[in-house]
Amino acid sequence: MIITKSWLNEFINIEDKSADELAKTLNSIGLEVDRVVEYKIPQKIVFGHVIECERHPDADKLNVCKVDVGTAVYQIVCGAANVKKGLHVAVATLGAIMPNGLEIKPVQLRGVDSEGMICSASELGLADIGSGIIEFDNSIGKIVLGQELSQNKYLQDTLIEIELTANRGDCLSIYGVARDLCAAYSRPLVKIADGEGEERRMGIGRILQLTHADDLDVNLRYKAIDIKEMKVPFLTSLRLAQIEEKQSSDLDAFLFYGTYTTGVALRAYDYEFFKVSEGSEKKAKIALNLDNLGFATIFAKDQVASVVGINQNDASKMSKNEGIVIIEASYVPPHIISKQMAQNKIPSGHLFYRTSRGSEPKLNIGLNYFIGMFDKSSTSEIYGGTIELCDDHEPVVISVSLDEINSIIGMNIDKTTITKILQNLGFDIGKSQGTNFVISVPRFRHDILNKQDVVEEIVRLVGIDNIKSKPFLLKEKNALSAGYFEFKKLRKYRHSAANQGFFETVHFVFNEKSKLKEYGFTCIDETLELLNPIVNTLDTMRPTLMLGLLNAVSLNTKSGYKDVRLFEIGSVFSAAREESTKMGFIYSGDAYKDGILNSGKSSKMDFGSFVQLISNVVGDIDLVAYTPTHDLANPYQCAKIVFKGQEIGELFKLHPMVQDAFDLDQTFVCEIDFSKLSFDLIEAKPTSKYQASFRDLSLVIPQNLPYTEVQKVIDECKSQQVVRFYPINKYIDFNLGENASLTIRFVLQSLEKTLEEDDITSNMNAILNALNEKLGLTLR
Amino acid sequence: MKEWYERIQTAQNVEDLENIRIAIFGKKGILAQQFEVMKSVPNEEKANFAKELNTHKNELTSLFNEQKTVLQTKELYEAMKAEALDVSLFSTTSRKGALHPVMETMDRIVEYFSSMNFSVETGPMVEDDFHNFEALNLPKYHPARDMQDTFYFKDEMLLRTHTSPVQIRTMLHTKPPIRMIAPGAVFRRDYDLTHTPMFHQVEGLLVDEEGKVSFANLKFILEDFLKYMFGDVEVRFRPSFFPFTEPSAEVDISCIFCKGDGCRVCSHTGWLEVLGCGIVDPNVFKAVKYTQVSGYAFGLGVERFAMLIHHIGDLRSLFEGDVRLLEQFQ
Repeated sequence: MIITKSWLNEFINIEDKSADELAKTLNSIGLEVDRVVEYKIPQKIVFGHVIECERHPDADKLNVCKVDVGTAVYQIVCGAANVKKGLHVAVATLGAIMPNGLEIKPVQLRGVDSEGMICSASELGLADIGSGIIEFDNSIGKIVLGQELSQNKYLQDTLIEIELTANRGDCLSIYGVARDLCAAYSRPLVKIADGEGEERRMGIGRILQLTHADDLDVNLRYKAIDIKEMKVPFLTSLRLAQIEEKQSSDLDAFLFYGTYTTGVALRAYDYEFFKVSEGSEKKAKIALNLDNLGFATIFAKDQVASVVGINQNDASKMSKNEGIVIIEASYVPPHIISKQMAQNKIPSGHLFYRTSRGSEPKLNIGLNYFIGMFDKSSTSEIYGGTIELCDDHEPVVISVSLDEINSIIGMNIDKTTITKILQNLGFDIGKSQGTNFVISVPRFRHDILNKQDVVEEIVRLVGIDNIKSKPFLLKEKNALSAGYFEFKKLRKYRHSAANQGFFETVHFVFNEKSKLKEYGFTCIDETLELLNPIVNTLDTMRPTLMLGLLNAVSLNTKSGYKDVRLFEIGSVFSAAREESTKMGFIYSGDAYKDGILNSGKSSKMDFGSFVQLISNVVGDIDLVAYTPTHDLANPYQCAKIVFKGQEIGELFKLHPMVQDAFDLDQTFVCEIDFSKLSFDLIEAKPTSKYQASFRDLSLVIPQNLPYTEVQKVIDECKSQQVVRFYPINKYIDFNLGENASLTIRFVLQSLEKTLEEDDITSNMNAILNALNEKLGLTLR
Repeated sequence: MKEWYERIQTAQNVEDLENIRIAIFGKKGILAQQFEVMKSVPNEEKANFAKELNTHKNELTSLFNEQKTVLQTKELYEAMKAEALDVSLFSTTSRKGALHPVMETMDRIVEYFSSMNFSVETGPMVEDDFHNFEALNLPKYHPARDMQDTFYFKDEMLLRTHTSPVQIRTMLHTKPPIRMIAPGAVFRRDYDLTHTPMFHQVEGLLVDEEGKVSFANLKFILEDFLKYMFGDVEVRFRPSFFPFTEPSAEVDISCIFCKGDGCRVCSHTGWLEVLGCGIVDPNVFKAVKYTQVSGYAFGLGVERFAMLIHHIGDLRSLFEGDVRLLEQFQ
């Protein structure tokens, strides 16, 4: 919503307020200021009167003018097409410095002296009202020749753009904003005058008739004008340009201006559209009724003229510059319009934004303003009186006590102050009893329905900055909810991952369905899918973090990174659209930084080192061979991750084909079900005071026997003295034939004593026997 | 004898010294020779001779030990010097990873409210109309629904447009008093320079007995919170409108870039909008069947906080996993 100071000044006297003060007040009463523009017209630009205008002897497109500026008459050569004798114009006199920096100097144009320049609006830095020089009229006050333009408050104006919240339909007009400012400044609102000379005019009843169904929650008011000639005043054009509105006809410009100024929804109809002949008598008949969708509609005979507050049939519009026009002001409560539109959406015109948020219900304000303005700018004949239809409206009445108000605000505001604020806002306060208020809400405030709405009005006019902050006194209550521990767990694992060199990423939970399917992922069931995705690369909810991570690695590789290490903890969705949290890791490229240590050439990340990094984050993990359901993995380097006996995720080397598709170096990926990671309290086990011993066993095993099998056998047979064992070497050579050599290191330790050679040997023998018995393995 | 003292003192290395040791103390060394000589010394001179010889033996021994330590140390240092490094070759950059600025900002926010005795609550991203709109005083035809463009699913479920539904869920399963925050991802159908379809919010709610919770309380905690987040800033409240609060306000801080003088970031207003808040609308309490309560609520966008605090210019870069940005947060 754009307002200007001079425009507001039609309804509230704010000439003493600076632009800054005005912006501050608007902000403090909840009308958020987005933009302030102060029009500053340079000095030495004055009002002038073109007293002669002749074609330039040597140039078709130039005119030589004599311009009276009160104290002198200048000869000025002007190139504008619209210059003519008799115009009141803006004259930049010698020495004036234009907003673009040009200084006005005496010049010769094709041999003719020119002492100044006749200006267009844009040359003066004003809103652009179109090509050609400005043609002033008395809409900006009496024109005094020679007076500086900067002295004129309509030209040297301040424009403020405010952002209105959806509840404040009452401030969608200059009049509405002025009304709110009146409450803020405690100043009176200037009333809009009733039409003059009504009694001399021919009554509207002789040419127009309204029929209607009952109880339609519709207010209508009609005027009729016999248009003869009309001209949009300069000020109206200027302001329409300031609010960036272009209207196709002069009548539309008047209508729009009237609506914008007063907030009343105004329309114009061609009288002919409604005209019916009854014998010799000619009369227009307007019928209000519900259409088949339940919208209140204006009919002319069988044709729709308009849907009240929503749209208008082009055929009913006035397309000529002469003839009788019917002007309609209408009002329907905004919640009725919004509800109907939500149920059956129909095309809407420019008024709908206003009517759905609440247009001005006092229809005579809009009609009177419009007629007053029109009367001044044309020689048209206005019919006397109005034809109108009013609904039954009971105002909202709210009862609230002083204590209730003050306890919500948290500060004591006295009754007199509150009374004054509410009255200034146009609220009717009945006879108060004690400290109770019975408040009747004016109809234009559709947003005020309950006590807290009333408190909000008081808060915004007292000014929130004037409310003193107070700490809330709480009863002690443990706030350590499940959500808190989840947050702590997230923190723990995020920090661990970062400490292992991974960068945290956040991706959209949206993914590209076709890509996911291409790689064999199961997406959300079609019946549960997104209805209105924003782009087709984000058309489903992701079932995995992996695709997002792969895209990010690809992007970073393109920007020149030789190794990319990323992780993410985020939500993924199953086919049934159930949400769960996963933790994903990706490592691509070099295992180390290139530099002095590796002569500038690092080895690539490998499976074992990647597993180590993941284990550093997650804890002790076992890997089990596994074939995934998707196609991202190299099936020969792919594992299920087992943590504390439970399967928690997968880890794999990226398939070379996928690697190529994303244009990546050697890449490893891991995805873990976050809920299965531990965040329990740790129970300490007894520790041994005695030295640990180490023994290595080298076994001959079949090449294709997975280590898991060996591990299982040892786990089953080993005594408590074997505290740990792990493979340290596996090799194949010619002498071993189909077999391989596997060396396992055992750590032995007892809680009771230092183990002797005999103890160790018997432990080792037991293990060897078991391995031999179950798997047929022997020592190398 | 004199000569041997000098030879010990002038020995150049441990090896020389060892040869000298053998020459002095060895089986055929000069000391052994002198003891041999002593045998033929007349008895009356023997005591003196022996005493002198022993003195020499002791002094040579201690001189030898001393010189050995000196030479050993010298040789150790020479060996070390041979392994000297140009340490400046090893200047390095960290291989640590880093946490995402948005997540870190969220953590800082959660930490503040945890320390102020707010519980942390979470809820699903896929929501229904009741929890996301209806219960929050946003009936279907409410014009304020225009403010949020919503992602819908084919079964009429939707992606939450704010974390407020978590507040509704918490109120539905807990009795007042309530003091909670709801951090998490939210979704709006908007994608341009300043909007992403997913972003993060932290919303807070406090509910207590009727008449206990005031706007002044809300002001207190938000002023304190914003100073914790942004340092010494001015805080301004502007009346505004949200369907779920009444009275409502938007909260601005004085621009942290220009200190309020006006710059490009604050659109020359000197203020930055950072929060929305208000007293809970009675219709919200009605929806969760709470009676005789009062409360306040507030909400903020985490990305905006992170961008302001860390001077990040491009919102979309936060969702691209761009290491050029992330590595700065090591």
